[in-house]
Amino acid sequence: MIGPLSSSLLLPLLLAAVCVVQRSLGLPRWLALAGSLWSFGAGLMALASFAARPGGDFRFVESWTWSERFGAHFAVGVDGIGAAMLALSGLVTAVATIVAWREDRHPRAYHALVLLLLACVNGAFVALDLLVFYVCWEAVLLPMLALIGVFGGEQRRYAALKFFVYTLAGSVLMLATLILLWRATPPAGQRVAVPPAVVALQSADGGASLHGLAVRGDANGIPTVDVPRGFDVRHLALQWQTFDAATFLGVPLATFGFLALLLACLVKVPAIPLHTWLPHAHVQAPTAVSVLLAGVLLKLGVYGLYRLAWPLFPTAAQDFGPAVGALGTAGILFGAWVALGQQDLKRLVAYSSVSHMGFCLLGLASLTAAGAAGGMVQAVTHGLSSSLLFVLVGVVYDRVHHRRIDGLGGLARPMPRFSWLLLIGALAGAGLPGLGGFVGEFLVLLGGFTGKAPFPWQAALAVPSVVLSAAYLLWMVKRTAYGPLRHAEHAALPDCDARELWSALPLVIGLVVLGVWPGPLVDALRGGCDALLAHVQGVRP
Amino acid sequence: VTSGWLALAVLLLPLAAALVAAAARRPGSAHGIAALAMAADTVLAGVLAVRVVGAGAVEHGPHATWIDLGAFTLGAGVLVDPMGAILALIVCLLATLVLVFNAWYMHGDALAARFPWQLCFFAAAMLGVVFSDNLLLSFACWELVGLGSYLLIGFWFDRPPASEDADYQRRKGRAARGVLEHQLSPAHAQLKAFMMNRVGDAGFLLGIGALLAASLAAGRSGSVLDFAQLHTLANEPFAVDGAFLGLSREALLFVGALGILCGAIGKSAQFPLHPWLPDAMQGPTTASSIIHAATMVAAGVFLVARCYPMFPPDALAVTGWIGGVTCFVAATIACVQWDLKAVLAYSTVSQLGLMFVGLGAGEDAGGRAAGIAHLFTHAFFKCLLFLCAGAVIHACAGAQDLHRMGGLRRRMPWTAAAAGAGVLAIAGVPLFSAFFSKDAVLAAALLHARSAGGAAWGPFALACGGSLLTSAYMLRWWLRIFAGGERDHDVVHHAHDPAGTARAVLVALVPFALALPWTAGGWLDHALGAPHGDAQHAAHGTATAVAFALLAVGAGFAAGVFWWLPRRGVDAAAALAVALRPLHAFCADLWRIDALWDRVVARGLGRGLAAIAARFDLGSPRRLAALENAEPAPARDAASLDGALDGLGRLCWRIGRGGSVLHAGRLGAYLAVAAIVGCGGLLLVLLR
Repeated sequence: MIGPLSSSLLLPLLLAAVCVVQRSLGLPRWLALAGSLWSFGAGLMALASFAARPGGDFRFVESWTWSERFGAHFAVGVDGIGAAMLALSGLVTAVATIVAWREDRHPRAYHALVLLLLACVNGAFVALDLLVFYVCWEAVLLPMLALIGVFGGEQRRYAALKFFVYTLAGSVLMLATLILLWRATPPAGQRVAVPPAVVALQSADGGASLHGLAVRGDANGIPTVDVPRGFDVRHLALQWQTFDAATFLGVPLATFGFLALLLACLVKVPAIPLHTWLPHAHVQAPTAVSVLLAGVLLKLGVYGLYRLAWPLFPTAAQDFGPAVGALGTAGILFGAWVALGQQDLKRLVAYSSVSHMGFCLLGLASLTAAGAAGGMVQAVTHGLSSSLLFVLVGVVYDRVHHRRIDGLGGLARPMPRFSWLLLIGALAGAGLPGLGGFVGEFLVLLGGFTGKAPFPWQAALAVPSVVLSAAYLLWMVKRTAYGPLRHAEHAALPDCDARELWSALPLVIGLVVLGVWPGPLVDALRGGCDALLAHVQGVRP
Repeated sequence: VTSGWLALAVLLLPLAAALVAAAARRPGSAHGIAALAMAADTVLAGVLAVRVVGAGAVEHGPHATWIDLGAFTLGAGVLVDPMGAILALIVCLLATLVLVFNAWYMHGDALAARFPWQLCFFAAAMLGVVFSDNLLLSFACWELVGLGSYLLIGFWFDRPPASEDADYQRRKGRAARGVLEHQLSPAHAQLKAFMMNRVGDAGFLLGIGALLAASLAAGRSGSVLDFAQLHTLANEPFAVDGAFLGLSREALLFVGALGILCGAIGKSAQFPLHPWLPDAMQGPTTASSIIHAATMVAAGVFLVARCYPMFPPDALAVTGWIGGVTCFVAATIACVQWDLKAVLAYSTVSQLGLMFVGLGAGEDAGGRAAGIAHLFTHAFFKCLLFLCAGAVIHACAGAQDLHRMGGLRRRMPWTAAAAGAGVLAIAGVPLFSAFFSKDAVLAAALLHARSAGGAAWGPFALACGGSLLTSAYMLRWWLRIFAGGERDHDVVHHAHDPAGTARAVLVALVPFALALPWTAGGWLDHALGAPHGDAQHAAHGTATAVAFALLAVGAGFAAGVFWWLPRRGVDAAAALAVALRPLHAFCADLWRIDALWDRVVARGLGRGLAAIAARFDLGSPRRLAALENAEPAPARDAASLDGALDGLGRLCWRIGRGGSVLHAGRLGAYLAVAAIVGCGGLLLVLLR
């Protein structure tokens, strides 16, 4: 029986195939909308389950054996973190589909690629098996490469190749880690002890079983489980001591694996200094693809850190956490400063992503409930706010066919609706309370402040970014929308039409709802985050 | 209905009014809806104030958890005390009056329908600060107040900057000295206001962090940011492990208080974050009248008072000094302004400084009560003065230059009288409101200086200097506009008093400029819990004498220079300006503070560093243009992080190209390589 999670992976695949084989040029966009709304619904449903009954267990688990010998399964399931990501990818893809509603270059191929991308992204978000995760993680590159490389601007080849090489270089090491993990685990499986706190938080049935494995007590009453060899990420996380003990090329496997996964994820996040593919990709990508890139693809990196790097290698995560936090802080400030110096609207929003995603790193690294949950909230709200800004940049581009800030000015007169939306997007990005962006940033800062040294220092250093983010976003709004009309030919520009409003309003509503009432989302996320923190801190309190 | 729920209703009604008024298309109906809602809210707030002041107790209303983080929770809830209830009443009352006045003021303006909902939103955010029961909600509403001011300051968003405005260039005359012309546009002023507030808010955030760390170190859990919890933190001994920036317990509490103060410095336009407020007069005068009175700038003073138990003596000393410096600096600047709104704007900054001097004096000296009392009285007469200024500007077809006013008392008798009452009030003439509250501030500062000694005399002395100048420049302002003969017939010849309802608003505000509504039965002192003792009485006596002397000297000077001597044909003001040229120029240049912010922060740290960072990251604009056109960029332009990584890619490509020679299919080369390697290998084996 196919459940909601596997269907959010399989349905888009199926619909993508339908797009290609059928003849109509108008149908594919409806299929893309249906596929994305389906996964939005599935994510929302899962999120509601975790909001109603918070917990660190994985729900909606489905598993089919793929290879008995390798312990590989097609296994899917989510905790609150995965559910939030699934809902986000569905919503953002729906918005991107509406943005590209009138795409007239190969619409069948275009929407098939979007559906393929959605399937791969969803697959990575719901995968419980490391092989499935890796396949989806890598497969994401192909539709994205095609979307930028075929439908992009003048320099699409340069940008697409750059994007591809950067991310592929990162993921090769992930493959190596995957093989090394398999090699390090004993063939017959092993019995491992699990801290009672972790059992309490992650068990779905009050401690009788953990991730499908029966929990027994050893002679001292400490819970133990018999872990079979395989690729289930939940089971691999239980065997962290094995990876600590194993070595590869003279370094502990935990260190090597952590750094490898870190690199793979940091490229996608993107963290400095691995971020320079992002501005090129955004500038060359069409509007809808920029929305997908900022709204969904970057989140894969953050999600990989939460799901793989930290749980699989908790000791290394503790060792390197301060460095990751420092990288996040540096990215927050550096990205903001570079954004302030941009003349191109898309590049400005791209660098604002670098700055905002730094908060996700700082939050996770701080190893506090506020920080970890805040990092994920930031991932969600950044997905909404940067998508909104990209949609609006697209609105301008469609009308004036350039994105230079100095070639705009005073658009609030001819385009009042657009200007209000732009202001909302900018304020959300600048972290105004009442809009989603505030919640994530504020929680991450609180997490940093209440973390162990050196995280309070890093949070304190990140604080000036509230000034910088307001500066680059509101200065952009001022130069774009306010002041006298700079170019007389812009006097008759049409305001946002119905399609453009339909693409922006879901994001605005999402930002307002999350800004005013973030409780349920945080509750849902906290289950997964608390389980993660108990696991990581349990190894070395 | 408990007071807490009533307060919630007072808070939510303007929010609902904002939503409804935003949907209204016609300016008239929008103003009507908003004014009616705010009037109803005033009644509710009045009931609440009477009830709470009568009971004299702090009451906690509904509280809900916003985010639960396990170790602590973040919530939203209502707290009502006499200070908050009175301020809420003032906010609602002034918002109502300003809305009524604005319906007349903006008649015929194409954007007029936007004003009511923005004002209601602004008031709602301010009421949120007033009734918030914890630091997080205060911060959130605080930021929304900032958004409200952003919208109102940039109300006429498409006006050009002064440097591009031919009309302004023609009119400015000598009036624009020291003004940064490229900044004189609503769009710039709103950005400047938001940014300078954000600078303060960054400190605020750090302060919240310090207090949170202290709370957790003290072993607390639950809604730790509630004022009720934070207020007791200072009395509690607890050990900190130095995790938070290596600070000790005392330093942690000091940093927490300083952070809150930092936010207040931004919002209440204290030195050195004050320049946004004078620039904010780019907004409609009616918006200024509410920003300078009950909302926005009041928030900072109010928050410091709300957090008073969290302020250790050191932090109060900083508060007092900041206030003293602000009070004096702004007063000197106000003396030499020629824009009739700029004088009022700097007078607001100066008066806010006076409130901070009061707050810095400490609870025992009656400083908190005095500062808050001055906030209340100031709200009314400053609103009145700005509305009068609006009436004058309206009457003079947009002119704001004091050089060209004069003699308007004959054409605008009602306005002249109302403005006169406002001037007498702000100067602190007996029987007027500021005589009561300013005297209280000076008495508190004096008492504090006597007990603490040393540096504590600084704020008192600076406040005295500021008060001396206040009576001088406010009298100058009134005399320049309303007294004497007409200086520019073109400007003033159409002038007339505002019509019906707008005039009624001015008249309605005048009674509040008198002392009686505030002192009757000592109700305000009682409500604010001002201490009464022999020491206070003695200080009051001295302070009254000092204030009186300052008033007499200042007013006498102004009357002589701007009224008595000019009537005898002596242009004493110009002669004085020449005689004191360097000092005059320095004050007219705003103490170069605006220019410093502009050069060092906006252009240096902001744009300059940003340009360097962008260059470092992606290379020069030429490289980006070259990339755009698929041309190779010169190496010099490509020197950047991205360029270096591209170079790495090219290096790999070259190595690959180089290696490809080895298997290009040339049989001869293969044979040669095979022969060389084979022979070499053979030699190695044989020679070993």
